[in-house]
Amino acid sequence: MRFHLPLVTVLAVGMWATLCASAADPKSDPAQLEFFEKQVRPLLVEKCQECHGSQKQKGGLRLDSRAAVLAGGSSGPVVVAGDPAKSRLVEAIGYADTLRMPPKGRLSTDQVATLTSWVKMGLPWPETAGARPATTGSTLKVTAKDREFWSFRPVREPPLPTVKNQDLARSAVDRFILAKLEEKGLRPVVVADKRALIRRATFDLIGLPPTPDEIDAFLADESPEAFARVVDRLLASPHYGERWARHWLDIARYGEDQAHTFQARKYPDGFRYRDWVVKAFNTDMPYDRFVTEQIAGDLLDGPDRVDRLAATGYFALGPVYYGRATADELDDRVDTLTRGFLGLTVACARCHDHKFDPIPTTDYYSLAGIFSSSDYKEHVLTPEGGIDEKAVQEPTDKMAKDKKKDPRKPVIHSLAEGAKTADLKVHIRGNPATLGEDAPRRFLTVLAGDDPPRFAKGSGRLELARAVASKDNPLIARVIVNRLWAWHFGRGIVGTPSNFGALGERPTHPELLDYLAARFMAEGWSIKTLHREIMLSATYQLGTKYDTRSAAVDPDNKLLWRMNRRRLEVEPWRDSMLAVAGNLDPTTGGPPADLSSPDNRRRTLYGSVSRHNLDPQLRLFDFPDPNLTSDRRPVTSVPLQQLFVLNSEFMARQAKSLAARVMAAEPVDSTRIRQAFLLTYGRPPNDRELRLGEEFLSVGGADAWEKYAHVLLSANEFAFVD
Amino acid sequence: MLCRLGGGFGTLGLASVLACETPAAAGPLTPHNGHFPPRAKRIIYLFMNGGPSHVDTFDPKPDLEKFDGTDPPQGASKKGKLMKSPFAFRKAGRSGIEVSELYPELSKCIDDICVVRSMHHETPAHERALLLMNSGNVQPIRPSLGSWLTYGLGTENQNLPGFIVLCPGKPVVGPQLWSNSFLPAVYQGTHINNSSIDPKTVIRYLQNREPAPEQRRQLDLLKAMNDIHLAERGPDTQLDARIESLEMAYRMQFEALDVFDLRKESTPVRERYGPGQFADACLIARRLVEKGVRVVQIYFGNDQPWDDHKDITNHRQHAGKSDRPIAALLQDLKARGLWDDTLVLWGGEFGRTPTSEGAKGRDHHSRGFSMWLAGGGVKGGHVHGATDELGMDAVKDRVHVHDLHATILHLLGLDHEKLTFRYSGRDFRLTDVHGQVVKGFLA
Repeated sequence: MRFHLPLVTVLAVGMWATLCASAADPKSDPAQLEFFEKQVRPLLVEKCQECHGSQKQKGGLRLDSRAAVLAGGSSGPVVVAGDPAKSRLVEAIGYADTLRMPPKGRLSTDQVATLTSWVKMGLPWPETAGARPATTGSTLKVTAKDREFWSFRPVREPPLPTVKNQDLARSAVDRFILAKLEEKGLRPVVVADKRALIRRATFDLIGLPPTPDEIDAFLADESPEAFARVVDRLLASPHYGERWARHWLDIARYGEDQAHTFQARKYPDGFRYRDWVVKAFNTDMPYDRFVTEQIAGDLLDGPDRVDRLAATGYFALGPVYYGRATADELDDRVDTLTRGFLGLTVACARCHDHKFDPIPTTDYYSLAGIFSSSDYKEHVLTPEGGIDEKAVQEPTDKMAKDKKKDPRKPVIHSLAEGAKTADLKVHIRGNPATLGEDAPRRFLTVLAGDDPPRFAKGSGRLELARAVASKDNPLIARVIVNRLWAWHFGRGIVGTPSNFGALGERPTHPELLDYLAARFMAEGWSIKTLHREIMLSATYQLGTKYDTRSAAVDPDNKLLWRMNRRRLEVEPWRDSMLAVAGNLDPTTGGPPADLSSPDNRRRTLYGSVSRHNLDPQLRLFDFPDPNLTSDRRPVTSVPLQQLFVLNSEFMARQAKSLAARVMAAEPVDSTRIRQAFLLTYGRPPNDRELRLGEEFLSVGGADAWEKYAHVLLSANEFAFVD
Repeated sequence: MLCRLGGGFGTLGLASVLACETPAAAGPLTPHNGHFPPRAKRIIYLFMNGGPSHVDTFDPKPDLEKFDGTDPPQGASKKGKLMKSPFAFRKAGRSGIEVSELYPELSKCIDDICVVRSMHHETPAHERALLLMNSGNVQPIRPSLGSWLTYGLGTENQNLPGFIVLCPGKPVVGPQLWSNSFLPAVYQGTHINNSSIDPKTVIRYLQNREPAPEQRRQLDLLKAMNDIHLAERGPDTQLDARIESLEMAYRMQFEALDVFDLRKESTPVRERYGPGQFADACLIARRLVEKGVRVVQIYFGNDQPWDDHKDITNHRQHAGKSDRPIAALLQDLKARGLWDDTLVLWGGEFGRTPTSEGAKGRDHHSRGFSMWLAGGGVKGGHVHGATDELGMDAVKDRVHVHDLHATILHLLGLDHEKLTFRYSGRDFRLTDVHGQVVKGFLA
């Protein structure tokens, strides 16, 4: 059977023919070259070069250079430049005769017209004009000049700047800050009062409000070390790791399932990674170790293998996509690795050399090859908590249907060396079907030199981990030091914590960043030491008072003339309500629980994190999408959030408990109000607030106190930290 | 606007850091102008999840009758024999556009509709295609169309969400289809499960626990306390914004209760829309856009009802539930003066094969399929593009999903190349590096 299929391209072809007639030299006509790049090259790459390119040459034909096109195949020439009617290529794509190309399906009429026009034009192809050859995806050469960009230079501890107001500087950190302020003729505001300070430090370190007793103890301690003692007490709290693990989980795009549902891989035991992160913070695991274990914990020797396997959850719990989209999964791994640890957007180089940073596309595939040489593995746990080396469990997405009802054994979701380890080739334009040059598994050229050593052991993951977590890597310390700063101040020294590249922001205080990074490495990569260094500075202890003159000069407070007021993220905000109501269940670790149940009294960290259907309260309050690594949370205020505040069962319950708590503790409204203020805001009410409270309570009925407590929990002061 | 779009986090603010000079009350959803005057101010997107067959709805193929039961030509690549449509096509309206018998009522509106017969994409799998249609990417890593629109334009009614998604249950993929992804959470779609429409529960936490005067008394105390707190601290747009949003939430309780209450519609109106979940959703959509909601998306049903692999005649049921409501919606928009600035879009994630699957069904097909647009800025009574004689491939004036997205943004006054958000080291767009505005749709 033959079909008479329409050919509606005559008009388009004619138009192009007219264009060509006026073009003296097709090879140098920029319009034609643009036509080639925009229309023809993508078509050749997508539709032809899989069989007629660098990998395969079916019929002896290659269609990846002008010379090759003109040379033709084993049965002779396929084009006559300028004459489509005599060109077998045009005949084949017309699908009118026995030779029909591409065999998998005919091109669209537009596509046929495009190739026909191109032949008619005489095959314009910018081979010599500096355009990249079609057989490679990468032409970028990293130069010495590229390595002079601020973030790629080696970290050096700078000398401390001199400042005029020596008395305002309590620590080295302050001198860097003061020097910049003095340059602009600015002066920091007064330091925060002790109540504000302990509230700030407590929320910062453990994500909960200080108790009235803790506040009293701090107020009573008049020694110069009083605040240092508060900081040390908080750093030693088991709740410290809970607070800081959640920051890290944003980077790790931690999630316990997939966005899709059909044959989706689930991570019911993903919490073991979450708990590993909590423990790592609580035990002050050196950061280089923290990084190494997450990349290659399975490949390290020594005790605590169970922990180290859990650490690889950083990658093992990553998203996998519907329909074996391996290339997209590798993109996620490279993206989360490089933005997370290095502050570099290497995933931009998947389809082409990075447009702004010195990252050739070969570098992307060098890293991707390490992950394609690694496998996902579920290690079955014994009842004693060890690894059952003999037991096997199929991942949920690979399980046979009839097995789905079998009770799943407890596992650790982890990485393992791949059954096959091999380099990838560059995917030209990101297309896995058109392969370019080899991309040996190794570290980034901008960081590791012009010809970085190849990773030789297995997947190369352990060598990668060593290279990432190395003192010779100028980014690793700068990036984490900046993150810590941002989580303390609400803004990083570099305002784009996961992008230290050309399109990222420049550091406001580059010397301070290097000072902190150098000290951090010199002092054993201790996160807790870094907290102390930052928090014991006068800068951290500044008040949040507004100053008209300073605001006029530096409205964004980039120079830190005051502390930034910050709104609590959803986790500490919810946890605080439970805490002041006396309802918080302080149990640590273990399987996640549904947050939407008003009976869930555990910290928000322990709520389920679904990539498919994120908990509505989390979604509403700026929790990041767990499908992507996230470096900053936006702060949005919209009415739907306040409907939760006004009407949710959760809020009503906490209000009721808080009311009962203060009513039981104090005999009359005036002292009850005082106690409620101390619990919720860490301070006594002023006269006006006391009067407002008494007036409100005098009118209502039996539940007046519940309603009043509800207001206290709903107020800005409860949601913001000075 | 420039500040917002260029700066990414700009007015949303991180902590107390506010890079942009904006009035305190101007929240991230405050309505603002796009890049040029819009042809439509709002959009209703009727999503026929599962994938309606183009050759059985809006793309008649007489050759399928001729070659019914024979092998498809080489290169057509699908298994199965060619299968004619079990439904008759009839010319409709002054334009004479042929529409299948599945849509007798909608056919009467054909002169107001621009039928696109040359849609195509590369992904004939539900999940990936749903994501592509909604976010321009096949993986769950990009903001949805509705999120981009509310980010670019804000919304006109601050007492209602700006982007509302109605689905009785959940489409396949689910919330990622209306996800804000890396855009701030304020731009996420609000999903309303309209399998039962109780105005008190359609929006989470909408129901007022206290009698209104009692709650007002709480709000007054809250306002007084927040004012004291603010006065002691000096100007702070974050504090202002939260005070303002508490008041908005209070008002939203009443406005939202009202807008979802279909009992407020007259009997003749309700009869025009007819019974059923989809009909109710269409009527709610009209009430929402009337109140200034920017984006309303209606999924036809739970899961993927249009996915008729086994028997294509089941399309009769789906069309039966949606024909009258859609026609009523279009007429109602006209009657209420909303037509000229409301864009209506109809389509699924792909079409279905011109060949049979099993005895009577059709498989997924994305190489050529149909959608339609109507309303503000759209050329009515017009057919754009064509598939080949068998409905296999879009061959004339092909329209990719990216082109559709570019055109939707264009109609709403946004330049798809300028609507960007800086994230992960570059400026992202709904259309990524693709997309051309399809002038052929435009009136």
